[in-house]
Amino acid sequence: MALYDILHDTTYRYESAVSLSQQIAHLRPRECVGQHTLAHRLEIVPTPAQCSERSDFFGNPVTAFALHAPHSQLVVRARSRIRVNAPAWPDPALSPAWEAARDHLRDGLSGHAPLQADARDAGQYRFASPFVPLGDEAVTYADYALQCFTPGRPLLEALLALSAQIHADFRFDPAATSVATPVAEVFAARRGVCQDFSHLTIACLRALGLAARYVSGYLLTEPPPGQPRLIGADASHAWVALWSPGLGWIDIDPTNAMQPGVGHITLAWGRDYGDVCPLRGVILGGGGHAVDVAVTVMPVEDEAPGGADAPD
Amino acid sequence: MSADHNMTAAKPYDEMHAADGAVRAHYQPYADWLAETPRDRIARKRKEADLAFHRVGITFNVYGAEGGKERLIPFDLLPRIIPGDEWRALEAGLRQRVRALNAFLADIYHGQEILRAGRIPAEQVLNNAQFRAEMQGVDVPGGLYAMIAGIDLVRAAGADGKGEYYVLEDNLRVPSGVSYLLENRKMMMRLFPDLFSRYNVQPVEHYPDLLLETLRAVAPAGVLDPTAVLLTPGAFNSAYFEHSFLAQQMGVELVEGQDLFVKDDTLYMRTTQGPKRVDVIYRRLDDDFLDPEVFRRDSMLGVPGLMSAYRAGRVTLANAVGTGVADDKSIYPYVPEMVRFYLGEEPILNNVPTYMLREPDDLAYTLAHLPELVVKEVHGAGGYGMLVGPAATKAEIEEFRLRILAAPEKYIAQPTLALSTCPTFVDAGIAPRHIDLRPFVLSGGKEIRMVPGGLTRVAMKAGSLVVNSSQGGGTKDTWVVG
Repeated sequence: MALYDILHDTTYRYESAVSLSQQIAHLRPRECVGQHTLAHRLEIVPTPAQCSERSDFFGNPVTAFALHAPHSQLVVRARSRIRVNAPAWPDPALSPAWEAARDHLRDGLSGHAPLQADARDAGQYRFASPFVPLGDEAVTYADYALQCFTPGRPLLEALLALSAQIHADFRFDPAATSVATPVAEVFAARRGVCQDFSHLTIACLRALGLAARYVSGYLLTEPPPGQPRLIGADASHAWVALWSPGLGWIDIDPTNAMQPGVGHITLAWGRDYGDVCPLRGVILGGGGHAVDVAVTVMPVEDEAPGGADAPD
Repeated sequence: MSADHNMTAAKPYDEMHAADGAVRAHYQPYADWLAETPRDRIARKRKEADLAFHRVGITFNVYGAEGGKERLIPFDLLPRIIPGDEWRALEAGLRQRVRALNAFLADIYHGQEILRAGRIPAEQVLNNAQFRAEMQGVDVPGGLYAMIAGIDLVRAAGADGKGEYYVLEDNLRVPSGVSYLLENRKMMMRLFPDLFSRYNVQPVEHYPDLLLETLRAVAPAGVLDPTAVLLTPGAFNSAYFEHSFLAQQMGVELVEGQDLFVKDDTLYMRTTQGPKRVDVIYRRLDDDFLDPEVFRRDSMLGVPGLMSAYRAGRVTLANAVGTGVADDKSIYPYVPEMVRFYLGEEPILNNVPTYMLREPDDLAYTLAHLPELVVKEVHGAGGYGMLVGPAATKAEIEEFRLRILAAPEKYIAQPTLALSTCPTFVDAGIAPRHIDLRPFVLSGGKEIRMVPGGLTRVAMKAGSLVVNSSQGGGTKDTWVVG
C-alpha cells in the first residue's frame, strides 16, 4: 500500500487579456480497483464564474468551468491525496490464449454469438478512435504485434513481449513529437513520449482485434540517491490497459516496459488521449500563450490526522 | 441534397401511363389539360418561371465550381401526381419508420437493448464513425433525436406491373430541400391557376408552421414560451437560401455561431436589446462544427459550451447530436428489425434488400452475381467507391471483385431496381425521366406530422438515374390529390 499527495499545476499566460474562457478538466482521479481518493481539491485562479462536476461517458470525473471576466493568466491547481494498493498481476502463463480474447470480442460484436455484457463494454475500446486511426496502416501494426502474439500464446505473455519489443525498438524522446503527432509518424520515426508509446501499443492491440484503452495518470519517480525530491519535476504519465475475458482490464506501461505497480496513479481512462486530456478548452482573445505544467508526486509516510477530509 | 440513385432500368414503372400506354386515372385531367394547351404557352410559362426563380434568388451553390457559383435548380413544369390513398399508405409507413428510428437512437445512447438482444451486431454501432460516444447517457428533451427526417423513396416496377415504393435512404442529420417543395408549389399556382381548378391538390404551404410547432414542442421542460432560432453555417453553405427562407417563413432569427454564447449552461443570442435566451436550435450545421470545446477544435462556426448546455437539458438541438449513426448505410439494413423490436409491428415500407458482405453467404452470392448488383462502400457517400454491375465493363467488375475480397466488411450489395419515370418537359418535347421522392417527416411532442407529398427530384438526362441537384438533377411540384 502507498499513500501520495499529488500536485498538478497548470499555468496559462496570455499575451493579451482573455475575455471568455470555457474549460473541461480531467484532474480528479477516478475511483478504481486498488485506488481510492482520500481528498481532492481544485483551485482555479481567477475564480471561475461557473464551475460544475459531472462524470463523462467513460465514468471519469470531469470539472467544467467558465471565466467571464478578462484575465491574462489562468492557474489550475489540483491537489489529491490518493491511496494505492497495487493490484496483483495474474500469472501471465495462466492467461487465456490471445486468440480467445480476440474471438470472444469478434463473435459477440459481430452478432455471431450472444453479446456478453463484458464484451459489449470492452467493445467501445476495440475500434479506431480519433488519435488511433486504423486505416490501411493497421496491417503494419498487426504485423509488428504478431511477432509477439504468436499462435496460442497466453495473452499476458504476449502483451509483456510486445511491451518489451516496443521499449527496445523505440526511443523516449520528448523533442520528437507533439500532442498532435499521428501514430503512423511515431511508428516510422521510432521515437516519442509516453503518450505516443501508449497510442502505438493501443494501435497494435486493436489491429489484432483486441480491446485496449488509454490510461492517463501519474508516475512516482525516485530522485537520484542522496538528492531531495524536486517539486514539479515529475510529469503526467500515460499507459495502456488490455482487456481479457475473465481477467478484465490489465494495465501495462510500454514506456517503461513494466507492469504498473504502486507507483502508477490512475487519473482517467478513455479510447485515447483526446478523451481524457487533463485540460482542454476554448478561449476568446489572448493572442499567443505559454503553458507551464508542474506535477509532483510525493509519498506520504502515514495518514496525518485531519490531512484528508474524506477518510474511509 | 444527395443520394446514390444507381438502380438501372429494366422496364421502369411510368407514373403517368399504364403498360398499355393508357393514361392512369389520376393523370387524366392533366392529360386533357395538356391536349388543350398550346405548347408555346407552356414554353412562355417556362421562361417566366426561370425569371421568377432568379428574381427570388432560389439558388443552389455548387461546391468546387468557380467562386462557389450559384445556379438555379432546373424546375420541371409537369407535376408528379400521387393519388390520395397511395399517399395515406406511405404516410403510415413513414410515421412508423421514423418512430422506430427515434426509438433506436434513444436506445443506443442509453441501454443499448437492441445490441444486448443481438438484433443488431454491436460492432455496426460501436465501430461507426457517426456514433457519438459523447451522447451516451444524455437525456434529450422528449427522448426525440430526429425531429426533422427526410426519407428518400423510390418506386420500382413490381412483378404485377404495380409500382412498389422502397426506402432508399433515411436522412436524419440535416435533410434539405423543403424550400424547393414550397417554392415549386407557389410557382405552379402562379403559372397555371387553371390546372388547380381541375384537381383537389392537398396544400403544403403550412410546412413552416408545422416546423415551428415541432420546434416549440421539443423545448426543454418548463419553458412556457420557447424561443427557437435557425443556426446556419453562413452564406457560403450550399443550402443558405433554404436557411434564410425557412427562418423568414417561421418568423425566427437566422443566426450564425458568433451570434450565440453560453453562460451558466444557458444559451443566449446577442441582440440589440441585449442577450436573449434561446431554448431551441434548428441547426443546419453538422455535428462536428457545433461546439469547438467538444468536437472539431478548429470550428469557427459553432458555439463553445453548447454541448454543456445541451447536456444540462437547457437547450434543445433539432436534430440531436449523433443521429448520423441511424442513417448510415451499414445500419440501413436493420431498420425493419428496429420496427419489429421497438414497435412490435411489421414494417409497412420496403427496404431495398441488402447483402452484407461481411456475412460469408452474402459475400458468396454477391461475388457470383456482380454483373446484376450495385455494390456500395458502407461508409462512402455520393457515389464514390461504388460498382453498378449492369453498367460496368468486365474489367471494372474484376477490379472491384479484388477490392471486395480485400475487405468484404466494407461493402454492401443491392439488386438493381428500375426507378420509376415521370413525363418531363425536355428540349425535344415531353419524355420520361427517372424520379424519386423525399417527404419531410416532423416529430415533436407526441405527434408525427408531414405535409402531403414531398420533394420530387428528377434526373434531367435521358436514362440517367442521378437526381442529385449537384449533378444537374431538377425538381417537380408534387401533388397529392383526392
